[in-house]
Amino acid sequence: MTEEKKEPKKSSSKPAGKTLDRRDFLQGLATAPVLGLFGYALKKEIDYQKAQKAAALGTPAVVPEQAELNVALLGAGAQGEVLLNAMLKIPNIRFRAVCDIWTEYNLKKAVNLLKKYKFEVNGYQDYQEMLAKEQGLDAVIIATPDFWHARHTIDCLKAGVNVYCEKEMSNTLEGARSMVLAARETGKLLQIGHQRRSHPRYKHAYEKIIKEAKMMGRMVTVNGQWNRSAAPDLGYPARYAIPADILKKYGFKSMEQFRNWRWYKGLGGGPIVDLGSHQIDIYNWFLDARPKTVMASGGTDYYDKATHEWYDTVMAIYEYETPDGIARAYYKTQTTNGSQGYFENFMGDQGTMVISESEALYSGLMYHETSAPPWDEWVRLGYVSAPKVIMPGEKPEVVLDVRETVSPDEHKIPVVLNDPYHKPHLENFFNAIRGTEKLNCPPEIGYETAVTVLKVNDAIEARRTLNFDPREFEI
Amino acid sequence: MNENKFGRLQMIALVIMRVMIGWHFLYEGVAKFMKPGWSAAGYLSQSKGIFSPIFEWITNNPDILAIVNQMNIWGLIAIGLGLIMGCFTRIAAVAGMLLILLYYVCNPLFVGFYYSIPMEGNYMIVNKNLVELAALFVITVTSTGQFAGLDRILHKLFCKK
Ligand SMILES: NC(=O)c1ccc[n+]([C@@H]2O[C@H](COP(=O)([O-])OP(=O)(O)OC[C@H]3O[C@@H](n4cnc5c(N)ncnc54)[C@H](O)[C@@H]3O)[C@@H](O)[C@H]2O)c1
Repeated sequence: MTEEKKEPKKSSSKPAGKTLDRRDFLQGLATAPVLGLFGYALKKEIDYQKAQKAAALGTPAVVPEQAELNVALLGAGAQGEVLLNAMLKIPNIRFRAVCDIWTEYNLKKAVNLLKKYKFEVNGYQDYQEMLAKEQGLDAVIIATPDFWHARHTIDCLKAGVNVYCEKEMSNTLEGARSMVLAARETGKLLQIGHQRRSHPRYKHAYEKIIKEAKMMGRMVTVNGQWNRSAAPDLGYPARYAIPADILKKYGFKSMEQFRNWRWYKGLGGGPIVDLGSHQIDIYNWFLDARPKTVMASGGTDYYDKATHEWYDTVMAIYEYETPDGIARAYYKTQTTNGSQGYFENFMGDQGTMVISESEALYSGLMYHETSAPPWDEWVRLGYVSAPKVIMPGEKPEVVLDVRETVSPDEHKIPVVLNDPYHKPHLENFFNAIRGTEKLNCPPEIGYETAVTVLKVNDAIEARRTLNFDPREFEI
Repeated sequence: MNENKFGRLQMIALVIMRVMIGWHFLYEGVAKFMKPGWSAAGYLSQSKGIFSPIFEWITNNPDILAIVNQMNIWGLIAIGLGLIMGCFTRIAAVAGMLLILLYYVCNPLFVGFYYSIPMEGNYMIVNKNLVELAALFVITVTSTGQFAGLDRILHKLFCKK
């Protein structure tokens, strides 16, 4: 109204167009404080996001001047290559040697890769020769087939070298046991390759969510799976076939068996050991317990039994006695359909945790039980993300029966690993050699997991529930 | 010159609406700016309807896409600032309408056309984008910048009359 009254005045006096009065200034800048408010809100938002990220990363250790470590790779197959690529991203590692019996193929590939990175590396067919010739090795990374792990690990330890040995620690418990003893006798470090033990998301889940915040409440059931698509047997370029006498010397009957060793009794353990041991290791860890019993069903239902002696399909159920009471844990692995991938799912009376090493699928979700105390504090601290609002339309409209509980809020575990999956575990090993960290998966843990997992195959054969004697886990 | 025939309270209401739309634009721009590697590609690639070939073409041309991304981010920020401050209000409002129109035609809500990017809420043809567009139309045709905004000062300084 005042505006309208002013107008005639403005137009009547000619120079008025140029004069700005106080009112013009005030009204001209009337909305400027909004920008201040916007800036303030933005700063709060940025701080919040930063806090979330910082919480996700954990406290960064101050990196002291690191000693350079001399490293050799023993077994340069698929996994050897994965580990090599992860190690190439770790500073202060000097590669000295690679050993692999497939000299014309895998050995060459690894040596060439390292030469590209300007490492002077020697290639060996026989690990004994490598240990004899390579002086001053600090660590050997072992990624040979499971049935070689015990011999390789023990000889390296006895040669005075620290060892990172891939899981499965060994295909036999005697093998695994002798590895623990060798580590104790030699005083050298032995890290078993259950790399989730060093994964920041898993550590966050255990240390922060389960232990500190106790967001799960009392965990009663667990389930997990690894679904893998059907795949043909691994082949090899015919001209690079290893001579039969060499194969025989190293325990393989044929090139086919050499390539597909995981399916053969006496060499590997089949998918339950290959895949399951990663995840069942997490059951033991997160439940803070060892199982009391296991029952299992499995068989070679899809592939050729002659070339797949171990079971392509396995379902197992464990009974745990946790510090809080009994918990039951189911695990399934199958190799004929890859949908829904792999994850572990822990269910407590206050929350549910779905976690996976995969960044692609189920990487880390928490569901809040509606009856549980609120998680606002944990959201604020960045232990979990703010709950995702379930959008209407995402779910078809359904009428809930009064007896049904509404679906719980979904939170994310806000920890993402932007590195190769094995890098943190290798770093932990190297830092343990330097004396700045403790091993995340010492042989005792690898052994416990081997005891837990290898019994599944026994239970399938026995067709009944098998008990664990608590002493079985001790050495 | 000043064609608004609105009372003071009505003008204040319009300014509040303008500032809020500006806030929304500004934060949409700033948030995209802060997200490392943000790209319109995700939204564009889901484009449906008659214009989708154009958006598809944009997504498939990394150079064009980069330009579109930058234009979108800075366009949003500039429009947001303009609306909040009431500075070149009319230009900002028209630009805002065009931008929203682009978003809308990228994923129009035709009847019977139920696939679209998951959105919160339920819509039939009209969605929040269109409502914001209509609100900007109101801003365009009312000179709120000359009531409360830098336009008032600019107008006095630079307009003869
Ligand atoms: N942690 C994980 O995520 C993960 C993933 C895959 C495999 N693995 C483990 O890594 C190990 C290797 O698996 P892979 O898939 O690489 O198998 P692979 O068959 O691809 O590779 C094994 C390599 O070891 C070599 N080798 C065999 N016997 C040897 C010997 N006596 N001396 C020297 N070299 C020998 C072979 O020539 C081959 O290059 C296994 O123990 C497996 O369980 C772990």
